[in-house]
Amino acid sequence: MLDVAGRTASAPQPGSLLRRPSPGALIRTVVIVVLVLFTLLALPQLLSLYYVDYMTQVAVYAMVALGLGVLVGRVGLMSLGQIAVLSVGAWSAARLLFGTSQPFPLVLVEAGLITMVLGTVLLLPALRLRGLYLALITLMLASAVYVVLLTLNFPNGGHGFTGYNGNQIHIPPIRRPSIATSDPAYFRYAVVVAVLMFALVAIHIRTRPGRAWAAIRQSEPAALAAGINTTLYKLWAVALASFVTGVAGGVLAGAVHYLYSDDFPAYTSITILAVVLMGGAYSLWGAIVAALLMQLLPALLNNWGVSNDWLTILFGIGVVFTLTTAPRGIAEQFPKDMARLGGLLVRLVRRGKPGPAGTPEPVSAPAPAAASEAEAP
Amino acid sequence: MIEVENLTVRFGGVTSLNRMSVSFESGTCGLIGPNGAGKTTFFNVLSGFVRPAGGSIRAFGDDLLSIVHYRRARWGLRRTFQTEQAIEELSVYDNVALVHEHAGKSGGSRRADVLDAISFVGLDADPAAKVGGLGVGQRRMVEVARAVVGHPKLVLLDEPAAGLPDAETSGLADVIRQIPARTGALTILVDHDMSLVSACCDTTAVLDFGELIASGPTAQVLRDERVMRAYLGTAEVG
Amino acid sequence: MPSWQEFQPFIVTGLALGGVYALSGVGLVVLYQATGVVYLAFGAVGATGALIAWSLISVSLPGWLAWLVCIAFSGALTLGYGMVFGPLLARRTPLVKATATLGLLLILYGAMDLLWTTSGGEVRSLTLPTDAHKFSIAGVQITYTQLIGLVIGVVITLATAAFLRSTKLGTAMRAMANDREITATLGVPVRRVEAAAWLGCGVLAGIAGLLLADMVALDATTLTFLVISSLAAALIARLRSVTLTFAAALLVGLVQNLMVPIPSLSNYNNMAPFVLAVLALLALSRRSVIALSREEV
Repeated sequence: MLDVAGRTASAPQPGSLLRRPSPGALIRTVVIVVLVLFTLLALPQLLSLYYVDYMTQVAVYAMVALGLGVLVGRVGLMSLGQIAVLSVGAWSAARLLFGTSQPFPLVLVEAGLITMVLGTVLLLPALRLRGLYLALITLMLASAVYVVLLTLNFPNGGHGFTGYNGNQIHIPPIRRPSIATSDPAYFRYAVVVAVLMFALVAIHIRTRPGRAWAAIRQSEPAALAAGINTTLYKLWAVALASFVTGVAGGVLAGAVHYLYSDDFPAYTSITILAVVLMGGAYSLWGAIVAALLMQLLPALLNNWGVSNDWLTILFGIGVVFTLTTAPRGIAEQFPKDMARLGGLLVRLVRRGKPGPAGTPEPVSAPAPAAASEAEAP
Repeated sequence: MIEVENLTVRFGGVTSLNRMSVSFESGTCGLIGPNGAGKTTFFNVLSGFVRPAGGSIRAFGDDLLSIVHYRRARWGLRRTFQTEQAIEELSVYDNVALVHEHAGKSGGSRRADVLDAISFVGLDADPAAKVGGLGVGQRRMVEVARAVVGHPKLVLLDEPAAGLPDAETSGLADVIRQIPARTGALTILVDHDMSLVSACCDTTAVLDFGELIASGPTAQVLRDERVMRAYLGTAEVG
Repeated sequence: MPSWQEFQPFIVTGLALGGVYALSGVGLVVLYQATGVVYLAFGAVGATGALIAWSLISVSLPGWLAWLVCIAFSGALTLGYGMVFGPLLARRTPLVKATATLGLLLILYGAMDLLWTTSGGEVRSLTLPTDAHKFSIAGVQITYTQLIGLVIGVVITLATAAFLRSTKLGTAMRAMANDREITATLGVPVRRVEAAAWLGCGVLAGIAGLLLADMVALDATTLTFLVISSLAAALIARLRSVTLTFAAALLVGLVQNLMVPIPSLSNYNNMAPFVLAVLALLALSRRSVIALSREEV
């Protein structure tokens, strides 16, 4: 099974059947609520429109990273084609938004469901394949989907099944929900949708599927011997990841207003895998780190006049680095490294200061450790 | 009562089990044989991971081979593996409860059944402790607990003593001896540690090159000349 | 339905492309057998080499020297990667090893766009002198480049098959594919055998890069991801048989190109390798055995 995404003590654990209250849980919940409120209320005021746009992309790709994290980090299935899944969601949402006058939330759900069905149907026969072959099949399937989308094109208000009219001169923009037409408002909308998706995944992890996934990831034969229908639970994970990514596609459609095949190039699937590995596939925070790496860093680099290619190179280095040295990803490794660095600095400082005669060298470990505990809930 | 008739398994050009026929009556039964004799392959057929080319297995009157592998736990099959497979990210309690949950046992008696199984195997770890933090011996006992929870019919133990120090092995022997009485299950024990087999098993079957070469009361089998010849060159028998 | 005449040129392009897919596929399969690594960066390496050759040619370096540099670069880079990350990841699953090569792919992809940007609409091309020379068979025109594509594919396949079967090094590679641990204890210089496999694969990547840059396009994205089509052929051969890879590669090349003149299928021709690979993989997995070893693929 995939041993890439290590487990972190701070990531959401599969819910225990033994009900015991966890003291850290309350603090974690409070921190999360505060952060979400801040993001919804304060952030759009603080950022310029330029950054609000990028942060909306962060919300979208956080959901994509979330889906991939479930597959890679929780079940041990590797997908090399999540961007193709995203494109299916975006296409479905665009088609529905143009072709019907359904309310936006309903379209999002439908896009998610369509993507979910397509994802599970395509992957079902492949689930009995082992790790590497399954990953390569997702690569093949994604490439095939890309070719189909190149031919189908994205809906642009035309009629017929594809909703694409090649001769159209005036292309209408994809509509947004009536309550969130401005960019800052749509950002908030996207964040709310993302929070709902994260909650959906968290619920899965803390209940029966989460435990079953943990068993499958540890050892599929042992899971079968324990009575777990591994094919069903793997399919469930694929369905969940596809649904979440499909919804993300819908949010993306509304965000960009106009969709083109160029928006979903093949290497983006690899990039998103890279950032998910770097951010940590097991922890939900890792998905947010991944999205920030992928969507916010380019914005910053653009401002400073540095080419995005350096980011691609960085992600490549990140993949290799993560796989060889820090399988838990940056979300866990970074606080640990910082803690170690902090401890080292404290010790250096203390050694520099002469204490009263006979004072033993103080033990400096507790402070940095506490900092790392609180940092990544 | 398990009746195996003419079981044949082939992997590519190799015949792992060759028209093997054996019966396991009741209690704790040993299954021994030199490396490559087919013991783990036999377990894998019982678990449903390997499809035999021919033969049949009747377990307590049921045609075991016709049951889908993940449904055999519900039927009453339990198993441990040569390399221990306890789920590191879950707690001791959840590891055992998982089996209880997916073997279709009712949630009402779950807590009692699980804690019962944990204490039966003599595991003194906190049930809420993550298995990842436990030592090898304790992890093995978690696996054994998973194998005895929820009234199983057939318990397969695949080299449970491998890698355990002697003191823990004798504790393990005590537990294994009590499984049939405690759960009513028929237990088949595969191990290379002959003292463990002698201590736990009333009857023993011996495989060599995928065939049954001896079966009967353990002490008698361990003295059988054919068995000694099969083990020629390896550690002494009995 | 197009006529036989209309299909003919596509048979030629199909065979030529198939030959290069075979060349790449054989490289991928041999490396996988010897090291357990599916070298997903194969296309990116060849692409970088081809772009380097292009740059050298545009500063008036003689063509043959530029190609040699391309091949040497691809070989050296692949060998370097293999010697550093091979041992580091030796104990991990094939999936992890393959994913690591994706890291190399990204690094090269970023570097290529940085050094040979296309943001200004630049279109580069690499033409091999053999493009200019043509001959005819039964009324069909074939360039020497296309002939070379097919012939190199055949030659590499035969040479590799013979190498694997008859030479000490080749036999060692086959042994390592079966069980690396045992091979090492038998006194086979595992590290050296791996180095040979990495180097050979890299060299093939460079050659494939040049041919594809000529036959398809000198574009970083196109060349990097063309590896997926070669991989499709290798997968149809279950990453095991070199001769099967060759046959599969020709099949993939032919199907892909023969779809072009058929109007209703034309747009989907690039899907052919992927669909074929998926079908082959699913057919291969019909009788699944759940292996207990962690090293299983």
